[in-house]
Amino acid sequence: MTIIRRTFLSGLMSVSLLASQFVGVVPASATEEGVLSIAQGFDPVSLWPNYSTTQEQINVGSLIVEPLFWVPPDSDEAQPILAEGYELVDDKTVRISLRKNIQFTNGEPFNADAVVHSFDIFTDIKTTPAYGRYSVVIDRAEKVDDHTVMLYLNQRYPALNLVLSQVFIVPPAYWQEVGGPDGFGSKPIGTGPFKLADWVRDSELVMEANPDYWGQAPEGIERVVLRPIPDDMVRASALMAGEFDIATNVPIAASAQIGGQSGLEVLSIPSYRIFTVSLSNLPGQESPLHDVRVRQAINYAVDKEGIIKGLFQGQARSLNGQLLRKEQVGFNPDISDYPYDPEKAKALLAEAGYPDGFDITFKFPTGRYAQDREVAEAVAGMLGAVGVRTQMVSLEPGEFLRQLSGRELQPMGYVGLAPADDPDLQLSQYRSDWRYSYVNNPELDTLIDAGGSELDRAKRQEIYSKAMRIMHDQAHVLFLYQGVDLYGVSERVDGFAPRGDQRWVIYGMSLN
Amino acid sequence: MVDYVLRRLLYTIPSLLGIVVVCFFLTRLSGDPTDLFLPIDASEEARDAFRVQYGLDKPLMEQFVAFFYKALQGDFGNSLRFGEPAISLLAERLGATIQLALATLFIAVGVGIPAGIVSAYYRNSLLDVAVRSLAAFGQAVPTFYWGVLCILIFSVWLKWLPTGGSGGLVHLILPATTLASTLVALLARVMRSTMLDVMRQDFVRTARAKGLGEFTVVMRHVARNAFIPVLTVIALQFGVLMGGVIVTETVFSWPGVGRLVIQAIYARDYPVVQAVVFFFALIFVLSNLLADILSAVLDPRVRYK
Repeated sequence: MTIIRRTFLSGLMSVSLLASQFVGVVPASATEEGVLSIAQGFDPVSLWPNYSTTQEQINVGSLIVEPLFWVPPDSDEAQPILAEGYELVDDKTVRISLRKNIQFTNGEPFNADAVVHSFDIFTDIKTTPAYGRYSVVIDRAEKVDDHTVMLYLNQRYPALNLVLSQVFIVPPAYWQEVGGPDGFGSKPIGTGPFKLADWVRDSELVMEANPDYWGQAPEGIERVVLRPIPDDMVRASALMAGEFDIATNVPIAASAQIGGQSGLEVLSIPSYRIFTVSLSNLPGQESPLHDVRVRQAINYAVDKEGIIKGLFQGQARSLNGQLLRKEQVGFNPDISDYPYDPEKAKALLAEAGYPDGFDITFKFPTGRYAQDREVAEAVAGMLGAVGVRTQMVSLEPGEFLRQLSGRELQPMGYVGLAPADDPDLQLSQYRSDWRYSYVNNPELDTLIDAGGSELDRAKRQEIYSKAMRIMHDQAHVLFLYQGVDLYGVSERVDGFAPRGDQRWVIYGMSLN
Repeated sequence: MVDYVLRRLLYTIPSLLGIVVVCFFLTRLSGDPTDLFLPIDASEEARDAFRVQYGLDKPLMEQFVAFFYKALQGDFGNSLRFGEPAISLLAERLGATIQLALATLFIAVGVGIPAGIVSAYYRNSLLDVAVRSLAAFGQAVPTFYWGVLCILIFSVWLKWLPTGGSGGLVHLILPATTLASTLVALLARVMRSTMLDVMRQDFVRTARAKGLGEFTVVMRHVARNAFIPVLTVIALQFGVLMGGVIVTETVFSWPGVGRLVIQAIYARDYPVVQAVVFFFALIFVLSNLLADILSAVLDPRVRYK
């Protein structure tokens, strides 16, 4: 008995000792001076920015490895970073002049050889498959002198800025030394304002300021710490607990709470992601949707504003009845959204020969987009009210992508596509032979081809606004809404300006 | 005994092989990694290049034979995402998961067993009702809900504990308590019922008749005997714990195997999914075996032929 009592007592002691360690403990990564701490959804796989087109990954890598150009959120002009500028020698030849006296942090010089080497990697589809869509227009890059590179294109290409801003420059000797992408991705060397200090996968990534940075270093930021927090709600909570300066992709449910906390604000960035329901009129995918009146009826039947207000608390935008955003070349100001008019929808359905409506399959992802299931349910409910009875098929995100790209997301599929910021990249997804296009319209195809090789801005505007008109009148998709990205940001951060594709750069940022 | 253990070990081989086979085909049924690794608007050429690079262009049976042959030698292939061997990615995260699992067991046993003892001894009292209600509650509330609730209370409002991540002991408290919540409840209930069984036995009455103190009777005679079946429950639950780890690690951004596998599943990173599923299966089979052996060793009445 005594033994037991003594054991019990010593147990109690050790517990209280343990407890005393925790008293007065501040959460380990509370924000410190000079340290910019960021919480995002996942840990990068590679810090080589050209490894994938996943923006959260590029954002991190590009603190170390820099591109030639950057296209800021408020413009479509390329702003030079490692380049001084570029000029078109002719429609298919680009002369790029490079900044001088820049070194990689391992001492290798930044020069034309490094740039040509990086272009070679970029155009090698085996090494850089994610960028095949951009590199396909590049024939080759050649060195002219130490600080000039000539880029030869295969075709006239209007979205040249997009290509130029996506090539990240790596040091050639070091690239060989670490054996290419895999080695470089875990131990990157660049010319950027930061250097990799420590990286424990899925736990913490620490970067330190590069003391020899060639350009204007972000003020007050000595270190950048990134931690992956997969759960959206927890990420928002961690920001509110004061553990971070920036939390990306915070859920709508938490945004009011974050905004209400002093010292924090919610940044609401209109996204490049456009949400629609595809309405297939492809040959071989027979359904009532082949009749334009049915497709129009579906557009009249859905209350887009209701969805934006009810499900997104206003954190989404209406589409103006077209896929292009107001800021883009080709936006057609004469088009507006189909009004919410169930009576008109019923009349159109009756006219098309479906006075009692019809049954149709409607596929949607669950867990891929914010509120995806809720939106799909709302759409199905509104369609049901006019007689379009949907059989809803919920898809896991991976299976959803497989079906989307296999043209199996038909006859109706809810999708949010976020192409790069150019009308050609947006619209070519609807060309009738594109892998995941559900639209069959030869007239539209002709316009898409014309716009894709037109360099004159005014002419592009004309071509694309015509295309917008056709897509709208033909109601090739159910136009839903434009997404919004929400960031929770501490007030000690200045100059944080993400783009609508979730890309942001540290240039111009500072920490108070 | 040795014979028995060896035989049981041999029996585990077919089940593990079966798991490897099922896992291979299940992951492949669930989609093409190309769709997830490359941007949706990637060119056809890039998609083909990707498939060739990872051998995904080959016929399924050929892929299977190649995989199986290598898996037999302990090589599960390279992760599609990281380009590193799946096994070494697993090994990298194992420490964090074991740490979490042990801390969870520690809390579960430390709280669940005493609660069960108290509850049984004062059965039908207010204390017993309280313990039983709490246990039912603990088992009913899902882990992910507990986790988020705890974060809200202890990190956001009280600011006592970090919301997640790894580091010192402080980082372990929330995830381990959350993961332990169902286990505590289970152990308390099992301990209570076995205690009640044992308390009715004759030797307990004899012990009291000898004039032993009540504390000694309960702790040394009743609890010790009641603990044997509970021990096998603990061993069995260790495998179940591995499943709970997936949710808990995600909620608390704990850098363990659970996080690794959930990301791999979403990305269709076949080699990593296969390696981790095999590993979890192994843990499960071994902890079952351990449970059987333990009860044979500890309870002389249990003997295997």
